[in-house]
Amino acid sequence: MKKIVFVLIWIAVASLGAAALGAIALNRNEKISATWFVVAAACCYLVAYRLYSAFLAAKVVALDDTRATPAERNDDGRDFVPTNRWVLFGHHFAAIAGPGPLVGPTLAAQFGYLPGTLWLIAGAAFAGCVQDFVILFCSIRRNGKSLGEMARDEVGKRGGFIAQLAVLAILIILLGVVALVVVNALKTSPWATFTLTMTIPIALLMGVYLRLLRPGRVLEASLIGLALVVFVVIAGQWVADSASWARVFTLSGVALAFWIIAYGFAASALPVWLLLAPRDYLSAFIKAGAIFSLAAGILIVRPEIQMPALTKFVDGSGPVFAGKIFPFCFITIACGAISGFHSLISSGTTPKMIQREGQARMIGYGAMLLESFVGVMAMVAACAMQPGVYFAINSPAGIVGVAPDAAAATISSWGYHLDAQTMSNLAHAVGEQTLFNRAGGAPSLAVGMAQIFSSTIGGERLMSIWYHFAIMFEALFILTVLDAGTRVGRFMVQEMGGRVWKPFAQTSWMPSVVIASAMVVGGWGYFLYQGVIDPLGGINSLWPLFGIANQLLAAVALVVATTILLKMGKMKWLWVTLLPMLWLITITMTASWQKIFSSNARIGFLSGANAFAAQIVAGKVPANKLTEIQRTIFNLRLDAVVTTVLAVMILALIFEAIVRWTAILTKKSEAVLHETPYVATQWIAGAEGD
Amino acid sequence: MGDVLKVCRNMARGLLLWVREWCGDAAYERYQKAVLREKTACSLTPQQFYVEQLERKYSRPSRCC
Repeated sequence: MKKIVFVLIWIAVASLGAAALGAIALNRNEKISATWFVVAAACCYLVAYRLYSAFLAAKVVALDDTRATPAERNDDGRDFVPTNRWVLFGHHFAAIAGPGPLVGPTLAAQFGYLPGTLWLIAGAAFAGCVQDFVILFCSIRRNGKSLGEMARDEVGKRGGFIAQLAVLAILIILLGVVALVVVNALKTSPWATFTLTMTIPIALLMGVYLRLLRPGRVLEASLIGLALVVFVVIAGQWVADSASWARVFTLSGVALAFWIIAYGFAASALPVWLLLAPRDYLSAFIKAGAIFSLAAGILIVRPEIQMPALTKFVDGSGPVFAGKIFPFCFITIACGAISGFHSLISSGTTPKMIQREGQARMIGYGAMLLESFVGVMAMVAACAMQPGVYFAINSPAGIVGVAPDAAAATISSWGYHLDAQTMSNLAHAVGEQTLFNRAGGAPSLAVGMAQIFSSTIGGERLMSIWYHFAIMFEALFILTVLDAGTRVGRFMVQEMGGRVWKPFAQTSWMPSVVIASAMVVGGWGYFLYQGVIDPLGGINSLWPLFGIANQLLAAVALVVATTILLKMGKMKWLWVTLLPMLWLITITMTASWQKIFSSNARIGFLSGANAFAAQIVAGKVPANKLTEIQRTIFNLRLDAVVTTVLAVMILALIFEAIVRWTAILTKKSEAVLHETPYVATQWIAGAEGD
Repeated sequence: MGDVLKVCRNMARGLLLWVREWCGDAAYERYQKAVLREKTACSLTPQQFYVEQLERKYSRPSRCC
């Protein structure tokens, strides 16, 4: 009887999810409530978790709760720490959820709400969660080894080196792109710039408190920091209202780019306790609060979706970024559906803290489902605003023009009515001078969040506070990614340099610290500067580059996972990782090909460069713009080279993996698994750890 | 009424414990427990442990995009 009730409940959940999905997929020309999105996503996630992840856990990886995990075997209270599964779930989720699931869906909303939403839900259930879960399992069985180490052991030496190089390349592109998102959010906004600048002294104060006054008292310091952050968000309005102070904090894109580059260098070279760690604590608390508030706001307000299911830009002519739904929707939304970077977290700290193998399902698969839900909420926030407003905020001046009236006329001509006064009123309501040409996703998401929050608390009066709170929240945790990423990049450069000259690998040797930091900051700083001066706004060329790089890393992780499953003798279930791997290779290689060779100058790097070169030859470029255009031509060609190198590296790894698979399948070589030997757990079920 | 208050108090206590563990506030206490269990000398002061833990955490990817 109990079983029948159980089955009926799951049939009801699945039917509700299917009905909600049907409602959002089949709806045309009518406004639809955001509730359908929440119901569709929640039901699909519940079914995926209950059925698919259970199948993966039982049949594919065969989790074994009698086996001692690395945390139990090596418990040292430092690196290997058995941690309560709910706490570890929180740790893991905080580590994987960055700006990606917020920015990617916001940008992909230019195709309409439907393609991105379907990819977020299906991509997470069948690809992203599978990757995170299987890689976490593999790392647990290998004493917490990293993805690079597993690639070297299981695929081959070259595989390990390629994985390491790919991680560094992706890190540099990623940091350049997210820094560009911050620049576009802060430029010509004294309120937002002041607020974010003030988070630096707040973090320094917290750093000193945590290091010297109350060592390790993170909660106390974070509460003090949070109170100060709320104060500076409000104080930002006074700064914006004061003519003299507003001038100090009104910065151009280029000036902001150089400040952020200087900040990144300082955060990487300064002691970690002084700036990086306290900012991370602050960011983690604000991130958790903002995400849950957004979820609650959507459930309370239940906004109507204004964006159509599909826009005319599915044909590839989109103003936010150029390219058709296939493959560009699938690389624009990376985090939220599948992100290669997650495999580094799943093979980082989490496997060293997990108490039981059985918990890998909830932490690996479950945390990624929650991140996907964040992506769906970002999609709702972006699509709940008028399409004309969305395109006005996210379209670069190079496409819609600089003057508000001209931009409004261009956007209206696309079929999304907009008048300049609407934008002016909106900018006034959120306390900004203008909201035109703010590509990057952050300002439009902040407008969406502010509209939802102000409908819940405070109404129109608090709209500007909510907007700047949202901008501060996005910028704060993008800067956390920036400084943590720069530091990790610095360690990787030092390690690689150490292979050539040993002293360079000493992580505390100042000349090595300064040189390696400068190399990493120089790398992403170049991409940032390139984006800032790009006449098409930078996001058009850099976000797809980041998406390609990130999804290629996911392909690397799935190659490693497939190799391990093959060696485990799981031939029957190989499709679990093989199919998402093939899908990722297809979309990344198609996108790489189009970004390099497309004859459309807005898509192809080379044709874009050639188009600019032709303009110079034809004498159409004014003398004062010549240097800028020549630099743009060089940057476009550089982007083509970077894309080629990334694609070739991954193809080399896949080739090596195929050789290895063939040898195993034809019994030419033995399938040697590099798992740590079985040790039975000493913990009684349910009484482990703490 | 008393039972409701008790449940609320327990929930609040549970939440506080979770937050302390999640944010790293309780990390040194965990380290001390591990040292006691292994019966080795407690080699690090709270300050040293805090800095050492941060150095380790931020030397590998700890935050995703």
